[in-house]
Amino acid sequence: MRPPKPAGSLLRAFLLIAIFAADPGESEMSTWKDQLAGQIDPAWAEEIDVFETQIEQRRQGKLDEKIFAETRLRRGVYGQRYDNGQRHDGIRAQEISYPSGSLTKGPETAWDAPGMQRIKIPFGGVTPDQMDVLADLAEEYSDSVLHVTTRQDFQLHFVHIDDTPDLMRRLAAAEITTREACGNSVRNVTACPLAGVCRDEPFDVTPYAIAISRFLLGHPDAQDFGRKFKIAFSGCREHACGLVSMHDMGLIAVTKNENGQEKRGFECYVGGGLGAVPHQAKLFDSFLPEEELLPTAQAIARVFARLGEKDIRSRARIKFLVANLGIDEFRRLVLEEREILSEDERWTAYLSDVRDYNERTLREGKGVNPAARPEGFQEWYKTNVYHQRQDDYGVATITLPLGDLSAWQMRELAELARRFAGENVRTTVEQNFVLRWVSQSDLPDLYQELERVGLNEPGAGSILDITACPGTDTCKLGIASSLGLAGEIRTRLAGKFMEMDEAVRNLRIKISGCFNSCGQHHIADIGFYGTSRTFSSRKVPHFQLVLGGKWTENAGSYGLAMGSVPAKRIPEVLERITERYVKERAKGQSFQDFIRDIGKLELRDSLEDLMTVPAYEEDATFYSDWGDPREFTLGDMGIGECAGEVVSLVDFDLAAAERLVFEAQVKLDEEAYPEADELAYGAMLQSARALIKTEFLDVADDPDIVVEEFRKRFYDTEIFHNRFAGGKFADYLFRRHKSPPREHTRDHAHTLVEESQLFIEAAHACWERIAQHQVAAASASGSTAGPSVQ
Amino acid sequence: MELQRLGVKFFLHQSSQLELDDLVPVFHSWIQKKVVGDHILVDVHNYSHVPRGPGILLVAHEGNFSMDSGDGRLGLFYYRKQPLEGSLESRLGHIFETTLQAARLLEEESRLGQLHFKTDEFLLVANDRLKAPNTQEVFEQLKPGLSVFLRRLLDGDDFTLSRQEEPGERLTVQVSTGCSDDAEKLLARLS
Repeated sequence: MRPPKPAGSLLRAFLLIAIFAADPGESEMSTWKDQLAGQIDPAWAEEIDVFETQIEQRRQGKLDEKIFAETRLRRGVYGQRYDNGQRHDGIRAQEISYPSGSLTKGPETAWDAPGMQRIKIPFGGVTPDQMDVLADLAEEYSDSVLHVTTRQDFQLHFVHIDDTPDLMRRLAAAEITTREACGNSVRNVTACPLAGVCRDEPFDVTPYAIAISRFLLGHPDAQDFGRKFKIAFSGCREHACGLVSMHDMGLIAVTKNENGQEKRGFECYVGGGLGAVPHQAKLFDSFLPEEELLPTAQAIARVFARLGEKDIRSRARIKFLVANLGIDEFRRLVLEEREILSEDERWTAYLSDVRDYNERTLREGKGVNPAARPEGFQEWYKTNVYHQRQDDYGVATITLPLGDLSAWQMRELAELARRFAGENVRTTVEQNFVLRWVSQSDLPDLYQELERVGLNEPGAGSILDITACPGTDTCKLGIASSLGLAGEIRTRLAGKFMEMDEAVRNLRIKISGCFNSCGQHHIADIGFYGTSRTFSSRKVPHFQLVLGGKWTENAGSYGLAMGSVPAKRIPEVLERITERYVKERAKGQSFQDFIRDIGKLELRDSLEDLMTVPAYEEDATFYSDWGDPREFTLGDMGIGECAGEVVSLVDFDLAAAERLVFEAQVKLDEEAYPEADELAYGAMLQSARALIKTEFLDVADDPDIVVEEFRKRFYDTEIFHNRFAGGKFADYLFRRHKSPPREHTRDHAHTLVEESQLFIEAAHACWERIAQHQVAAASASGSTAGPSVQ
Repeated sequence: MELQRLGVKFFLHQSSQLELDDLVPVFHSWIQKKVVGDHILVDVHNYSHVPRGPGILLVAHEGNFSMDSGDGRLGLFYYRKQPLEGSLESRLGHIFETTLQAARLLEEESRLGQLHFKTDEFLLVANDRLKAPNTQEVFEQLKPGLSVFLRRLLDGDDFTLSRQEEPGERLTVQVSTGCSDDAEKLLARLS
């Protein structure tokens, strides 16, 4: 895949002369740049050279830190937790005194702090040679572990920014780019990992995914977005492999007959997305002809760049533009834009080859030999092998625990691919690998080899195959340990997996460390996202339980939060819900239908006892997270030493707000949208009032006064602002207060319930900050009193 | 030889019984108490779910520590990330000293039971495929400097050096000796 030649090469030449003039030539071949000269596409090589120059400019203070931050993000170079130079070690917040001192690679991001490198893998396709390179890089620049993401990318952690140019060169020599792996750009284009071998698809979407990736990479019309833009392809409507409904632009392969000839096209959706407030994508075109795919994508990009929000980051995804304009007006604008686009031969040049696109098979397909089935094979075969539509070939899913594999395993897997599958390896959005075009007769041998390298775990796509974002392990935004919880659940379930009821085995669990949904909790059967609650001035990690999401039908519906549960009680919650499902479900009843039939009220009642937190003195384990022995803090800046036992008025009021939003969910389920809207709005008002009362106890109930006082005391002062999200949660209240819905729809009510839940979470976080401040002030003045409401 | 990114691995003795997860609080306490001299300790990461991986990882700015099983055997692996000054022998001295100090701390850690690290066999890993590709030629270049250092470390004990030749792997030198001294004794020779 080759990008267009970047602009500014003359500028770069000047910069290089200025920066390296005093450091004339090292010996030849002493650098990766020398070593790989001629092996990298010149345009890619130049881009990386430019980035290296920018690193040097920033080091010398000649490039603004914000500009550099966006620059590195567009090359997939992320920050990681603790990169602000502060870490709570379980006893106190400690400064991490990096040698680079005040030098930063972005606002509050220390230069020497280890970071994350994201590596784009369009449609998840990797070759064994590329896998070898990735393994080498994991060892030399990271921690010898490769992490597969929910967007079919790879991530390497604990990478020093000084190493990134060489890392990129070595990838580029293997025809992999990190360009636009992050930042406000077109992210990795994902596709169903079964594309081309699927039994349901009308045609293989792979060449189209490749074409759109190439076309939009570095495209001038895709460089001025307010936020990221994600594209996904699916071969069918029914299955989840492409998760089209949760994408900015989602495409499902369809055909129609025109004058006796089959014509290829796509059911095209826009404006979907998860994030804090999820949106289901809207149908843009029920049949977008294949020749219109690239120009339409370009037109959508131009409309998004021109009309999308740029100032308020939290409203900048295209889903908000589509929601604001309405799909009809959005479509009109895009079609208008399409009409004025200058013809580009790339729009259709690739089409002459798409019907010839075929993966080379390595071996002749033969049926599996029933006599050659090693121990454990049958269980693995049942869950991890997909029968291709091509006779006697199978797709083997390699289940990766938490999306991780070691460099050694990666190298071994590459060897197995060479032996059994050729070039046909893909990553999946469930953080696994698939080896395609494996002869059925080779599967027993493949299984034995996978067992040797520790990659033979059964249960692909099952309750064991948990998706989790990095959470507090490495993410700056993480609130609770999604990986820790996922690891704990996996350990507990693994031992009894074989005995589990089939219906439970097939459930999917997805966990995010915060509300941002990187772990895709909204589309799981059982989802969780990290939150925090304060008890007696100590923080306790919690997870919101999210039920009702639908993984199938390309992420057909999104779940809603049921209530916040202490992290240490989540395994019990899981056990109680699944046991009840096994005992009480009707024959063939889906988990979603079962939950709907019980009703959220009853279900919540049945979990009420698991939402409590024992006193610290009674059980201190509740006050630390899974897999992390440190006492739990938020943002590693908390103190949490106060031993006061007072439950504050604010806590009571926020609990009341949570009850209101829960009732809003119930009304939503009952399709009583006006009531759901009113309750969700009321919950936000209740939370705002709770905070106002910390300063002004006698605040009236009048919404106008509540909003005005809240704005004056908490928004304008930025006390309510989240460190990363700014004032976006307050905007939810202001917008609903100012503009009540003119018509009550499910979409609107659903969105408001989500927003209300997030507003309450933000109010909790705000109150925790206020309480800490009060404790610190009391401590400084010698008082031992806990936080109190004045 | 200007090789900087070197690593050392001391294997855990067979008699040692270690639950990897038990290392997590130990490494956290190292950060709390700043017990590793001249290292800025950053974070602990649990990779115990990854076979043949770094197990439990203690990330530091200068170099990483892990209870690693990357080569199939459990052991303390330390690899340097930031450059050191001085000759190869001097750099090796620094890296071995850091590793042995960490090994000694783990052996003394009551929360881990009785850990023991073997000193009759250990690995030197060149974590740099550019400067030290896994070839016989580079191995021969490395031998003299390494041998000078090992004579000092092992105080006259015989040793043999062999290169692990697995394709794709980093240059890894296995050191086999008759040494029966513990980590503390080896450490004393480096101070």
